Amino acid sequence: MNGQSDARVALVTGGGKGVGAGVVKVLAERDVRCCINCNTNPAMAEQTRKAVEAAGGEAFVYRADITDAGQLQAMVDAVIDRWGRLDILVNNAAMQLNRFIDQYDYATLRRLWEINIGGYFHAARVCLPHLRKSPCGRIVNICSIHGKRPTGFDAGYAMTKGAIRMFTRELALELYADGITVNAVDLGGCRIEFKTGNAPISAFNPLDCHNPGLMAPRMVTPRDVGELVWFLCGPEASAITGDGIRVDKGLILV
Amino acid sequence: MKDIVILTDDRLAEAQQVRDALIERGWRVETIPRTICLWDEAGLSAWAAPFSGEIAGVIHPAPTPILGAIEAVSEAQWRRAADEGPMAAWCVTKVFCDRMKANGGGSMIYLNSIHAEKPVGHGALFSMGCAAAQMLCKEVNQDYGEFGVRAFFIQKGITGSDPDARSPVSNLYYGVDLRYPARRLPEAGYLNALVAFLLTPGSAALAGSDLMADGGMVQYYTHRRQVEGRPYYEWPK
Repeated sequence: MNGQSDARVALVTGGGKGVGAGVVKVLAERDVRCCINCNTNPAMAEQTRKAVEAAGGEAFVYRADITDAGQLQAMVDAVIDRWGRLDILVNNAAMQLNRFIDQYDYATLRRLWEINIGGYFHAARVCLPHLRKSPCGRIVNICSIHGKRPTGFDAGYAMTKGAIRMFTRELALELYADGITVNAVDLGGCRIEFKTGNAPISAFNPLDCHNPGLMAPRMVTPRDVGELVWFLCGPEASAITGDGIRVDKGLILV
Repeated sequence: MKDIVILTDDRLAEAQQVRDALIERGWRVETIPRTICLWDEAGLSAWAAPFSGEIAGVIHPAPTPILGAIEAVSEAQWRRAADEGPMAAWCVTKVFCDRMKANGGGSMIYLNSIHAEKPVGHGALFSMGCAAAQMLCKEVNQDYGEFGVRAFFIQKGITGSDPDARSPVSNLYYGVDLRYPARRLPEAGYLNALVAFLLTPGSAALAGSDLMADGGMVQYYTHRRQVEGRPYYEWPK
């Protein structure tokens, strides 16, 4: 066990690729040691780890299904065994199926619910005993503008993102007395490699929005998200809790 | 003429009052028996089949809240909250909105809670389900709006008959009556006229509305530690 360092420790679910990888890279650049959780794509998670280490950071990859409470607990135990502490939980792993209401069945919607909100809920539960010991405990839930604005192409996904919005507020209220802040990042129009469970988006193109000028010259990147997560995890953000901060380059401003 | 209103669950006092008021106004209210599982699409469809062409609206109340600190939530509670909340809301929506869509439209009314936006404290399971239903309502308007289906989300507050008001779990409700401008809890029944209005063509321009019907509770905020000699709020111990 290596618990002597003052460097903080973060667990990023779905940290191997996309938004999660962006968060991992930004945190690691600033001396936060990261556990990169992955499930379906360990090869990309390894690439992220190598990129972190090449930049002088410290990270390890742990493969776990976030819908399985036992696997989540084992992952947190591995973090504690390795570094002796856990200060930051970034809930990020999710899937987006892009289906209309009548294209869902119970099993599919239930599976989506267990990943997109169940994973966040259970990860927070197993991390809490350690976050309470941290001088700067932080939970950041990566959410979406779909938790606020309907788009007409995935009701199931929007339901789970709405649930994250309220999960964030409830947990903020519950944990404020412990000094743990809980915030959400409402992400919109982010350019990533691909989304888990993604199908072609036929009904919506972010670049067709009402204010395309605000999108130029580029869409939101995973690094943009990482920068906000870094700020929310710092001591300067200790008064911000229960919030949902939009990172969409103005996509749903009008 | 379409004159049937489906009530999916009559356990909530406000739902019972709404049902009685609608019957008084001439609507035929069909309450789904508690033996029908609201997240079983096949069973729900079979029950709904005889009414398909006559449904003017559906009222879907929020489930009974499950309260508790996050670390105290059991696996059984997690599964129950998911089934009774978001899964039931989706299944009811799919079964009945498809029928209303096929018959010229209707009103899909989610009789839900202020906890779709306001945290209750030790109420993550319930609030998450409320917020999920709120987003479902918004998406219903996108998916079914052009077929004449209008979806509404009512954020109801706490009433005098509501067990939440005296919950031993959440101190957030301690002295809750003092947060109302009238300094008293509204009684069940204050939603009756609103629901009736949403079932009529007169409310056509309100499609997709998020309606706060809480007696002013969440708009009223005080910095005072005490109101009329009573503590306004105490953090959970």
